[in-house]
Amino acid sequence: MNRSQRIARDVLVSLSAQRSRVLLMMLGLTVGVAVLSAVIVIGQGTRERIMGLVEKHGLDMVMVRAGGDVQIFAPQSDRGLASLVEADARAVEAEVPYVDLVSAVQNQRGISVVYEDRSVITRAFGVEPTWLAIRHRDVAEGEFLSESDMAAMARVAVLGVKVTRALFPEGGAVGRTVRVNNDPYTVKGVFIELGTDAAGVDDWDDRIVVPLTTSARRLFNRPYLEQIVFRVTDVRRVPETAERVRNLLAVRHGIGPGQPADFFVREPEDVEGAALETTSTLSALLLAISVVALVVGGLVIMNLMLASVSQRSREIGLRRSMGARASDISRQFLLEALFVALAGGAVGVAAGTVIAAALGAAGIASSRITWVPFAVALVACAAIGVVFGIHPARNAARVDPAASLRGRAA
Amino acid sequence: MIEVDGLTRLYRRGTLETQVLKGVSFRVRRGEFVVIMGRSGSGKSTLLNILGLLDRPDGGRYLLDGADLSGADDDARSAARNRKLGFVFQQFHLLERASALRNVTLPLLYAEQDSGDSTERAERALQAVGLTHRPRHLPSELSGGEQQRVAIARALINDPAVILADEPTGNLDAQNGREILEIFRHLVDGGRTLVLVTHDRAVAERGDRVLVLDDGRIVGEEAVPTPAAGTRSDAAGAV
Repeated sequence: MNRSQRIARDVLVSLSAQRSRVLLMMLGLTVGVAVLSAVIVIGQGTRERIMGLVEKHGLDMVMVRAGGDVQIFAPQSDRGLASLVEADARAVEAEVPYVDLVSAVQNQRGISVVYEDRSVITRAFGVEPTWLAIRHRDVAEGEFLSESDMAAMARVAVLGVKVTRALFPEGGAVGRTVRVNNDPYTVKGVFIELGTDAAGVDDWDDRIVVPLTTSARRLFNRPYLEQIVFRVTDVRRVPETAERVRNLLAVRHGIGPGQPADFFVREPEDVEGAALETTSTLSALLLAISVVALVVGGLVIMNLMLASVSQRSREIGLRRSMGARASDISRQFLLEALFVALAGGAVGVAAGTVIAAALGAAGIASSRITWVPFAVALVACAAIGVVFGIHPARNAARVDPAASLRGRAA
Repeated sequence: MIEVDGLTRLYRRGTLETQVLKGVSFRVRRGEFVVIMGRSGSGKSTLLNILGLLDRPDGGRYLLDGADLSGADDDARSAARNRKLGFVFQQFHLLERASALRNVTLPLLYAEQDSGDSTERAERALQAVGLTHRPRHLPSELSGGEQQRVAIARALINDPAVILADEPTGNLDAQNGREILEIFRHLVDGGRTLVLVTHDRAVAERGDRVLVLDDGRIVGEEAVPTPAAGTRSDAAGAV
């Protein structure tokens, strides 16, 4: 061991011989770190729960539909509206902030899909590759559509599970060729099972999806869109983003104030956005409390260290007489503050995590335990130990050994 | 071993200035047991602190083992304290929460090189001062004489050439005081240089030479007459 390691070990041995003093010193910091880690654990749990809800209900998606009347449910028949075009989708993508993914969408009922002697009549969608992420869908087998499928107007399709089961009861759909309205399409993938929508009207498993270019030029052979769907990066900004899209499309479609629009922007219910808002306000408050507690904890350590420097001036003098340099003494006291702070942090992060996990288990809060609180506690406590340990350590190094050894008993 | 020439030391407290040392000169040869005797306030503790490199003189010259460290930085002076000097204090100055063994090993912390098995070295040092039992006891569980033995073992662990002792028997009863002085005598016989500060003439008479310090000056120097052979052997038998 080198000199620094020997001194570090000596500090640990000294601290372990005075546990009650160490406990007293680290108490404030422990409380601060406990609150901080509980906030992080609950914050991450809440965020995860909300993200789950966002995914499940598509709360970050806004849909623009062709046709101006208020549409509560999807139209029961395709009405051949010619109001939305792909340029509208590109304009939304280019001009509206907080929009990161956009897909133009065409769809049509009554499409026949045939494999050997089996056939179904289903609804076909023409979409862009971004659609998968915007609608929070996923493929169970094979792959989703790609940009090169788009560019090639490829005759490829991704099938819903019901279509797949009807055509391929034995499985193995991916790679086979089906006939869609009599043209051959390669099955590129199969969606995971999704079930019906909340109203029980739309059956999302009874679908096939092809590239938008293929549907526009080949399958449907028309430029008009039924929908534009886009994803908003921040769930809390959904309402204002929807409003921006409304205004943009009104301008593009030449619709003045008070005139009926030829499109309809449907945004998701904003209930969970409000919940997220409340949670983050509470987290900010608790975060502020824990920062205050951390600083107070640091000050407690500093004050007790300062008191300890004057109580232990004789020990300092003695160590100096044995050959300790001033820098060895300051290192000793700095390490003492650092070790106490780290011990306080370790106890605090354990306590905070346990409390948060208990609240989670009791159903009072969502909690998710990750490495984050541990890393934050380590960094915060190391910083506090050093910042609040420097002043006492400097004082300790300045103790005059000759004067300090003159006193009475050690 | 020690050469002191015209040492002066001035203390300032506010506007009050006290000239504690007013030009002190003497030499201590290697292997010599020199006692600095003086009343309280004569400047003997200040002188010992300067000899121990814990304080710097304002004037004059101090050579320790041929080296003048008065202008050296803290690191060099600390290293010299660690290697060349061992301190023994009146109040023992043991760490209360540390066992006898750990107290003895403390100077090894500040050595340049790692000393290998420090516990084994500490045990040997404790043996050298006749304290083989109770090495794991805390100072509060030891008698005064035992505590001072621990302190001497601590001073010896880095094998220093010079031991500086400040009233080492001041807190001990007569019997323990005699035993501690006997240990010192053995150390000197083994080749170590010892400078002991005291106000006690009975203690001073155990040295080879006594320097009498009064009001910051050496006012007398006397060789101690060889004591009657009987006394010396009696005390030696006690150790």
